[in-house]
Amino acid sequence: MQETYLVELKNITKRFPGVTANDKVNFNVRKGEIHVLLGENGSGKSTLMSILSGLYRPDEGEIIVRGIKMVFRSPRNAISAGIGMVHQHFKLIDSFSVAENVILGDDRTAPVLNIKDVENNLAQLSARYGLDINPSSMVWQLSVGEKQRVEIVKMLYRGSQVLILDEPTAVLTPQEADKLFRNLREMAGTGRGIVVITHKLNEVMEIADRVTVLRRGKAVATLERGQFNRTDLAWLMVGQDVVLQNKKKSPPGQRKVLELKGVGCLNDLGRNCLQDVSFTVHQGEIFGIAGVAGNGQRELAEVIAGLRRATEGSIIVNGTDITGFSPRRVIDHGVALVPEDRLGTGLIPNMGAVDNLVLKDYRRREMSRGPFLNRRKAYEKVKQLVNRFEIKLSSLDAPVKLMSGGNLQRLLLAREITSNPKLLIAVYPVRGLDIKATEAVHNLLLEQRERGMAILLISEDLEEIFKLSDRIGVLCGGRITGIIPSEMTDIEEIGLLMMGGTGEMVL
Amino acid sequence: MILPGYVIEKRLTPSSTAYVIIPILSIILALAAGAIFLELSGRNCFEIYSRMFSGAFGSRYGLSETVVKAIPLTLTGIGVALAFRMQLWNIGGEGQLYMGAFAATWVALTFPGGSGWWVLPTMVLLGMLAGGLWALIPAIPRAIWGVNEIITTLMLNYVAIFWVDYLVFGPWKDPNGFNFPMTAQFSPGAILPALGNSRIHAGLFFGLALTVIFYLIIYHTRWGYEIRVTGENPNSAHYAGMNSKRNIMLVMFFSGAICGLAGMSEVAGIAGRLQQGLSPGYGFTAIIIAWLSRLNPFAIVIVAFLFAGLQVGGYIVQTSGIPSSMVTMLQGLLLFFVLGGELLTNYTIKRMPANPSGDDMR
Amino acid sequence: MKKFNFKVLLALATVLLISMLVAGCGGNSAKEQPASQSEGEKLKVGFVYIGPVDDGGWTTAHEQARQYLEKELPYVDASDYVENVPENPNDAERVITQLVEQGNKIIFTTSFGYMDPTIKVAQKYPDVKFLHCSGVKTAENVGTYFGRMYQARYLSGLVAGKATKTNIIGYVAAYPIPEVIRGINAFTLGVRKVNPEAKVKVVWINTWVDAAQAKDAAVALLDAGADVIAQHHDAPGPQQAAEAAGKFGVGYNSDMSKIAPKAVLTSPVWNWGPYYVETVKAIKEGTWDSTPKYGSFTYWGGLKEGVVGLAPFGPMVSEETKQLVEQEKQRIISGEWDVFTGPIKDQKGEIKVPDGQKLSDQELIEMMWFVEGVEGTIPQN
Repeated sequence: MQETYLVELKNITKRFPGVTANDKVNFNVRKGEIHVLLGENGSGKSTLMSILSGLYRPDEGEIIVRGIKMVFRSPRNAISAGIGMVHQHFKLIDSFSVAENVILGDDRTAPVLNIKDVENNLAQLSARYGLDINPSSMVWQLSVGEKQRVEIVKMLYRGSQVLILDEPTAVLTPQEADKLFRNLREMAGTGRGIVVITHKLNEVMEIADRVTVLRRGKAVATLERGQFNRTDLAWLMVGQDVVLQNKKKSPPGQRKVLELKGVGCLNDLGRNCLQDVSFTVHQGEIFGIAGVAGNGQRELAEVIAGLRRATEGSIIVNGTDITGFSPRRVIDHGVALVPEDRLGTGLIPNMGAVDNLVLKDYRRREMSRGPFLNRRKAYEKVKQLVNRFEIKLSSLDAPVKLMSGGNLQRLLLAREITSNPKLLIAVYPVRGLDIKATEAVHNLLLEQRERGMAILLISEDLEEIFKLSDRIGVLCGGRITGIIPSEMTDIEEIGLLMMGGTGEMVL
Repeated sequence: MILPGYVIEKRLTPSSTAYVIIPILSIILALAAGAIFLELSGRNCFEIYSRMFSGAFGSRYGLSETVVKAIPLTLTGIGVALAFRMQLWNIGGEGQLYMGAFAATWVALTFPGGSGWWVLPTMVLLGMLAGGLWALIPAIPRAIWGVNEIITTLMLNYVAIFWVDYLVFGPWKDPNGFNFPMTAQFSPGAILPALGNSRIHAGLFFGLALTVIFYLIIYHTRWGYEIRVTGENPNSAHYAGMNSKRNIMLVMFFSGAICGLAGMSEVAGIAGRLQQGLSPGYGFTAIIIAWLSRLNPFAIVIVAFLFAGLQVGGYIVQTSGIPSSMVTMLQGLLLFFVLGGELLTNYTIKRMPANPSGDDMR
Repeated sequence: MKKFNFKVLLALATVLLISMLVAGCGGNSAKEQPASQSEGEKLKVGFVYIGPVDDGGWTTAHEQARQYLEKELPYVDASDYVENVPENPNDAERVITQLVEQGNKIIFTTSFGYMDPTIKVAQKYPDVKFLHCSGVKTAENVGTYFGRMYQARYLSGLVAGKATKTNIIGYVAAYPIPEVIRGINAFTLGVRKVNPEAKVKVVWINTWVDAAQAKDAAVALLDAGADVIAQHHDAPGPQQAAEAAGKFGVGYNSDMSKIAPKAVLTSPVWNWGPYYVETVKAIKEGTWDSTPKYGSFTYWGGLKEGVVGLAPFGPMVSEETKQLVEQEKQRIISGEWDVFTGPIKDQKGEIKVPDGQKLSDQELIEMMWFVEGVEGTIPQN
């Protein structure tokens, strides 16, 4: 007797030019379960769920919803079959209210709109699952976590029985992630099926009733809770053992590379977001900034890089006061930045690897012939970097937006590291990367540390901070609430400081 | 969804053949659609088309005239494309053309007997300077406060056109011109040399030279690299320490200067005087040309040449009894189909299987 | 094309809008004419038009004359005409050249702005004869021709002067050039002959074809108290404005009573047909030459030759007025008197043409002053 699933994917194959993204994948969702789809970046998770949500059509295979074979021609078809997806990038209109966003594109909306009814419905749905959404607030006023809940409530309002969330925690603080997981559990409790796409093992351990692991487009295992542990999953995902170990060898130097004295700045809305920030980073040292996202991390990096004006205090690099310098002069003083937003800032999505890799040193004499850019030199350099940093490229000129996240980050790091900076600022350098890519990036950072570079590492992942940093500064509400050598503290203490508690050992 | 069973799907990477084949197919379709109208009004479409073609490209004279018409289109096309490269929407090519014509005319009228070698170079320089400064006016508020340049450049067109109207109706009116809105004829020293006995003037050289210069600057200089980066991703440009404010002003200046050169070459190459209605909207057609060419300088030359042929051929077929409105309609159809074809370059139409079972799929 | 964002759309939409406006100024017409194969022996005559053939005004008048020419002279093939040819230097010269290249031996260029292009092309083709309407430059093979429209305008002025009650007549004028000024003066002389108290208010609009602008100007004149609207403009907008306001008007170019039957008293009209036939005949017979005999015009016909005239009167025009007009018309045709015969005062009240004297043709062609009774100024250099 075959079990009837809420939805079932059978032998799904999807090919893109040059790759088979999904290769005869089987996947199903039961009533009331949270099913995690686990895999490295590029393993085909998003493609598979895009097929399920009607965005792509499979080349082979079938979709069965509650026992009935279906063909989805658009996400609209999938939604009317009760399958809703919450994408990583929200599809909301900022200037509309929550309720207006929810009914946008909904076929069932009556020609004469009664927004009050909609708002009441939404308020009920929201209360039932603890989503805590005010249907009449404007979307631009919402935090990222709230926007995500709007997306969820939108799918519930449209009657989704199967809810797919693509990397839902990537944009959330740990607290928000916890809240989300509780919400999801509530929803599963009412008989819905929840699919969570992720590459984070701890999330699987925390919420999965079942897990399906994808590797290189194939489903390598589907396991029930109790049948899996971290090591097994990691092994299934990567296909090799992952070694977590400390590779720091030499102690940091004594020379101060970066020194912040009482720095403050405003955020995009013109409010104070950094206040009286002071710390020092030495040669050959990795200084980690821990903290919940949104506490001034991005602004801190931007102030040092000259992208944001400091309203008070001074920033000293190698003995020179660079406060108020233009971004270009800051670069010339040996400061490199790996920004949080790789494709939006760090790289130019529609340009090729060559154009991307010369972004910082196109002005340098060795890259020029008079006013001209020395293309031959640029190509030589790029080929060299591609080899050295093991960047996988289909061609040197293909737009980099076609590259995977890990490769993009390697490209970005390769450029910033080879500009031989005195100071490297890395903001969330492994966000969204899989285990292998993360490991590669960490090794690169440690290597630079050994070579005497000063590194300011900004991350929300405490494991990463502890693994790499020599000293840790905690940023909370725009202030440094503590600076502690990493071997003298533990995750609990840092966590307390992150939440705004005052550590005793403030240095 | 366009038809039951068919869907439109985005192409991940538009194929390079699509870039070539789809525009050609679009043109064929446009001609086919036009043929329906021609046949409905009782005309032989093949005869009309072949006359249009041979009128624009088939004879020495027709070809030379098509080139003459292509000169201002190429120059303004290159001009606006330069700004578009940096995502600066310079809709003011027309006004910049007029200001270039204005400044060049000033030189010619101020030194009426001037036949020295310096007259034409001065006209070129001042024409470019005037067009450039005219474009700089909207560039400065754009660079400093982010004021939308579409509106400002568009509006300045009318200011420039009316400024020239004022001059040719007023202070610059030809004293012997019976009050008609035109300046006096330039002296021979202020007229661009022409090729043989055709009307092809030195503006052709300007157009081709600027095409090559445009290519070299955009793809091979550091400044061009900054323009491309800023156009693609302004955040990256800021992050990489590029001076976007300076670049906005420089790019707009040169964009306007090239359009100004188009104006200079029209008055000094064709008319030999400034008059009302100097340009039948070259600065606006240039926007379409630049866009259809995907801002590629060499494509701009080709597209400008084809557009010129379309207009020249359009007048020719009038003598076959095609009213000018029919010709305008044909030109509209061509644009409609070519721009519509753009969609197919980036998207593809796929057939959905009627039976969803996996067996009868590819 | 990810960056193909709102701004681009806005830009494209703007361009489209503008192209549509530009295209909208063009005409829409269908030419009824068999695809006649040239039968070798026929004399080909070509025409260049500034507007569309159905503009109901200037170009329609020439188009009717072209059809008349084809009908009257069996050996003529006048099937080649090009409409909507802009006066910008780039296009006009090419269109004229192409007409020559298509075998036309006589070419009529029917707008002042074609003057330089006509002369330029004529230099390249000495065997082809060019006739340029209203121009001031002639050459061995370029003749100029025009009509004494001022005579018909004088007659229409009589009608207007009788019709006005407020003694204010509005005049929508295209450009401050001698042709238009001459017409205003003649019209005013007509008005003041029957009504010495009346004034003629002039508004320049600096366009031949922009119907909307002409209408706006007429409305402004009506607001200023005018109760008759005359015009020197190709489109009938001013007459429509007069009709809408319940006032009178005097049309131009062709009979405009079809468009505003309640308003139009009469319209001074062109009738080029007889002249075209005569000229083509003369060229074929070798008796034509381009010498400017009338000032700078090779040909300058008037009421007598039938090149200009008045369209039928509207029903509101009294028999008395009609008789007066007929009387004055005969005076002009007989040659005993012409419109610009002294005494004529200028705007300052000084005698410009002494009693008994007559302005010469060249003086008329270069006329740049207003007679007494005109309210308005001529922009001077």
